[in-house]
Amino acid sequence: MALTGIRVVEIAGLAPAPMAGMILSDFGANVIRIDRTKQTETVDRLARGKRSIAVDLKSKEGANVVKRLSSNSDVLIEPYRPGVMERLGLGPDILMKDNPALVYARLSGFGQSGPYKGVAGHDINYLATSGVLSTLGKYKENPIAPINLVADFAGGGTLCSLGVLMALFNRTKTGKGQIVDVSMTEGAAYVASWLWRSQNLQLCWPTKIRGRNLLDTGAPFYNTYETQDGKYMAVGAIEPQFYALLLKGLGLTEENMPGPQIDIRKWPEMQKLFSDVFAKKTQAEWIELFGDSDACVSPILTLEGAATDVHNEARGSFMRNENGSYEPRPAPLLSETPGITEVKSDPNIGEHTEEVLQEFGYSKDEIDHLIKNDIVEKL
Amino acid sequence: MILSGVKVIEFAGLAPGPFAGMVLADYGADVIVIERTQSAMPRPPSLARGKRSIMLNLKDKEGIKVANRLCQNADVLIEPFRPGVMEKFGLGPDELLKNNPKLIYARMTGFGQSGSYSKMAGHDINYLGMTGLLSKLGREGGKPTAPLNLMADFAGGGLMCAMGVILALLERTKSGRGQVIDASMVDGASYIGSWIYQTKDAPYLWPIGDELGKNLLDTGSPFYDTYQTKDNKFMAVGAIEPQFYQQLINGLGLTDEDVPGQVDLDKWPETKKIFADVFRSKTQSEWCKVFDGVDACVTPVLTLEGAAQHSHNQTRKTFLTNEDGDAEPRPAPLLLRTPGVNYVKPNPVTGQHTEVVLKEVGYSQSEIDELIKNEVVKSETVKSML
Repeated sequence: MALTGIRVVEIAGLAPAPMAGMILSDFGANVIRIDRTKQTETVDRLARGKRSIAVDLKSKEGANVVKRLSSNSDVLIEPYRPGVMERLGLGPDILMKDNPALVYARLSGFGQSGPYKGVAGHDINYLATSGVLSTLGKYKENPIAPINLVADFAGGGTLCSLGVLMALFNRTKTGKGQIVDVSMTEGAAYVASWLWRSQNLQLCWPTKIRGRNLLDTGAPFYNTYETQDGKYMAVGAIEPQFYALLLKGLGLTEENMPGPQIDIRKWPEMQKLFSDVFAKKTQAEWIELFGDSDACVSPILTLEGAATDVHNEARGSFMRNENGSYEPRPAPLLSETPGITEVKSDPNIGEHTEEVLQEFGYSKDEIDHLIKNDIVEKL
Repeated sequence: MILSGVKVIEFAGLAPGPFAGMVLADYGADVIVIERTQSAMPRPPSLARGKRSIMLNLKDKEGIKVANRLCQNADVLIEPFRPGVMEKFGLGPDELLKNNPKLIYARMTGFGQSGSYSKMAGHDINYLGMTGLLSKLGREGGKPTAPLNLMADFAGGGLMCAMGVILALLERTKSGRGQVIDASMVDGASYIGSWIYQTKDAPYLWPIGDELGKNLLDTGSPFYDTYQTKDNKFMAVGAIEPQFYQQLINGLGLTDEDVPGQVDLDKWPETKKIFADVFRSKTQSEWCKVFDGVDACVTPVLTLEGAAQHSHNQTRKTFLTNEDGDAEPRPAPLLLRTPGVNYVKPNPVTGQHTEVVLKEVGYSQSEIDELIKNEVVKSETVKSML
């Protein structure tokens, strides 16, 4: 696989760092998650394929275990507030002096510097600080963060993986690792770069008001509509030729419409008209009616519905896990060296403590000593 | 820079492909955009910083020959067309990889290269609808609301495509070979949202999972949402953990007696109303004074311009200033030893680099003149625009 042979030490965290670890694991890396001792449950829901070793990081000997692991690893991912790793004696100065080829990824909300560094926050705060949140939400409603997708996962975990991969790529030329400072605030902004760069495009941003523009629920032809059976359809008919097909499918003509497609003054009225029409048929009827026409009208599936949809099934977009539920298959698809195609199980905390220590050269006596003194824990 | 020496041929498209190309350009790749001479849609100028532009007539056999030659010397190709279009041009992966086995051929589409929807037109909202994620986004009593085109076009699209390219480049250092990347925005957006699928049955996250906007992180809870201030701006509240929630209550000037318990789900609407009333009593900057530096997870909702001016972001140089004086995000993440660009390179004029790019792959001036004369290529130097 693309990352076979790459060793990753992931210091256990909430969701963004686990996402980065999971992506690397999915593409073949050997990911070891360092869990805290004295806990039985992990919050990591993105743990497939990882191995777990439980270490008492607060003890000097525990820190030494992590040092030894990282000195023989390629990547370390840490999720703490700036300064915490340093206080544990595991800062980049120390670990990279020991292992200059180490890629040391630091995943935080506000970054390793700046007045907000170290302030507690969550996705919604990072998204707010990035400027992006101010653009999301309907007219006259409060801005709405899309759960925690944009800062935690897109601008956080995924961008962290991107940074790690770039650093690994650079290392093939230079032999040297480096620090990757991943700020979820910046990541969210960067992923949304187009928002800043497109502000003077009249077609996309006809008003300065949130929820009254082309892609932010202002336009009737770029919106969602409820069907007769309480489900929804997605409409993305921006281009005139697609819009014409949309009208056709809805049984409307240009004459029925209160105005031409891009008359923004008539958008609210057009939206009501479309709403009324969509409410007259069920989701299945609309799917059948629009078929695979280029009207850009498609169903809004539920999480379960997406996994079993005929298109997604043909693509193997979802994998089934041992509990019988579905999870997305790694993307993108690489033809020669794809990611995993089936779900490896989540580790239990401390399940691989002994195995990992052995792999890193600890003798049986050393391991017994660590276990006996609660420096590490095994399952 | 990280991608110095990496040559990317990007076939011009709308947003996802260009964003992937921009990420690569931002980290040092030489990205050449092939724009079509007879293009119905004008190229949106928004994601072209630092790229070079050549105009080709892909409907002309000679134009295909030029494209072929460019791809022979390339490391990466990004194409945004519906499945089969590149094959029709004679520029499909089988063809190009035969002549250049180290080529990384990235195919950026909404629905992917296969499956029943693969030939269908669509946009971000359609792709996001297919993932299941859109069904979870929106306020109570409303309908699913797509977050602009961030999740499918950019996060699950361009970003994922760029990540696939870097993975393939890394793999190529071992194998010496390229491969085909099937970057589907449906797949990409789903993958980024993996955690949502994994946690959908967790009762603390999705207590009323079937309904929009009634859960922990989807605007259902009073301590994970935005609130309007006295001056019609907004504050973002993300006080999930009990110790942060306590700081939130304190900062709002409330006590435990004033509000229902944090996890009293039935009273969430009531608590929300109480919070909303309090937030409306002060301006955004007054709230910032109350909460800055406090671990309450309460922060201002900044506008696009405001974010660029905020002291934290200024310290971090999160934004660069372009030649128009406007702010745009600096490449993330920060790689300390080999960072991305720290200034905004200009957008190319369409066709600005036609001649220089052709010379680079060995065309003589007379060959170039011939191609221009026959409208196989078009050259638009800055001078000719004056």
